[in-house]
Amino acid sequence: MKEQEQAETENDQAMKLAPDEELMLEVRNGAGETLGVLFDRYHGPLYNFYAKLTGDRTLSEDLVQEVFLRILKYRQSYQPGTPFRAWIYQIARNARVDHYRKTPKQVSFEPEMAPPVLPKDAAQESQEAELLHHAMMQMPEEKREILILSRFQELKYEEIARLLGCELGTVKTRIHRAIQELRQVFRQLESGAITRNPHSGAKWIPPRRAGNEM
Amino acid sequence: MKCEQMAELLPDYLQGSLNAEQNGVVEQHLMECADCRDEVAVWNKLAALPVEKPSETLRERFEAMLRVYQAGRADKAAVGIERANRASAWSFLNWLRSPLGAMAWSAALLVLGLFAGNYFGSRTPHTTASQDEIAAIRSELANTKQLVVLSMLQQQSASERLQGVSFTRREDQLDPQVTAALVHTLRYDSSVDVRLAALDALSRHGSQPQVRKDVVDALQEQQSPLVQVALIDQLVEWRDPDAKQRLRNFSQTPNLNPVVRQRADWAVSKLN
Repeated sequence: MKEQEQAETENDQAMKLAPDEELMLEVRNGAGETLGVLFDRYHGPLYNFYAKLTGDRTLSEDLVQEVFLRILKYRQSYQPGTPFRAWIYQIARNARVDHYRKTPKQVSFEPEMAPPVLPKDAAQESQEAELLHHAMMQMPEEKREILILSRFQELKYEEIARLLGCELGTVKTRIHRAIQELRQVFRQLESGAITRNPHSGAKWIPPRRAGNEM
Repeated sequence: MKCEQMAELLPDYLQGSLNAEQNGVVEQHLMECADCRDEVAVWNKLAALPVEKPSETLRERFEAMLRVYQAGRADKAAVGIERANRASAWSFLNWLRSPLGAMAWSAALLVLGLFAGNYFGSRTPHTTASQDEIAAIRSELANTKQLVVLSMLQQQSASERLQGVSFTRREDQLDPQVTAALVHTLRYDSSVDVRLAALDALSRHGSQPQVRKDVVDALQEQQSPLVQVALIDQLVEWRDPDAKQRLRNFSQTPNLNPVVRQRADWAVSKLN
């Protein structure tokens, strides 16, 4: 009995250490329970990807759910050797596009995501985070997406290039442009310039320079 | 080095994938150029955006989906075994070994091949799970979501109830039970915010006469002027024929907030 238990825990541990691709092959062969391990690994990052992109927490949860439903649905189309991370982000992007095709963006009851909950002892940092959040939400969606993918989702530029279907060099250029724009919007917001839309030709106001800033 | 050249190096610098020499070049430039330095600073600041945690319902919904999937597979497997038992008659196998059987066998394979080619060729390559299976999972998800909504509307914390209400907002059609729960929330919830959100959720279903009636009824019990005004505005928007008389009576209610009374009178005039 004990041996059996031990074997089971070893099996569990092996599963927890196995690469994503191996687990996905098991799911492909019908082992639904293995999807749970992939869910453990990816639901958090995917949720954060959607939340930062859409600013809507409820929608983000719906979309994560949709991604895992699609994995079950399309499991046979997963080809051995395909990097799983790239594959799941591809599904995630498609799920979002399909969602907006079905339900065009509407003015939501909470027009923007309520500011993130932050520890109280970091008042200044939290103010900065809120400004950054607003700056991100003001950027065009493609730029916001590439920033999120490169900054928060632990994707390599090569992976992003494959995901977006463009050259590596293009990805780097686009990331650089997105950073430039984020910086501009963020510094404008910070200096109190009220600009609802950064593309309306609002005048660029030079950022404040504090002594300790790098 | 110029800023344009930075465009090539900066992204790699930020991911830490430059060699020592290139790294030195970038850092030299950063010391000289305030704009590029600020870009790096803003990039670094992004770390301040918190990692958000999804609610527990996400996992519950995932597990419910998985259960349905597993149950579906178990059913299929059972059917498969039964079929196999029936088909494993020895006589049939022996007949296949005979020359006549072999001919029939190859003909059958050919037909099967043609059929499969047609069938799978015409279908999109991705739909592998059966449509029934997916439909079953989807319907189970809708049920689970409904249960989640109902339980969330009962929660202690207003923000959870608010989330429960907002869950219903994307549905095109509301289950009667969920509608009843929303009406109950609109009438009796202790938080004004949650009551307003419930009204917002119900406002999408004004085509149902029962919903309109429930909203009119809710007016009489509201204590908060804010909700009262929101209810009145909603009734004007629906242009419900029964609402006019009710609003007229309502504006006669003693001790009514003057602003609300004014709004009700305005609404009556609008509905004329």
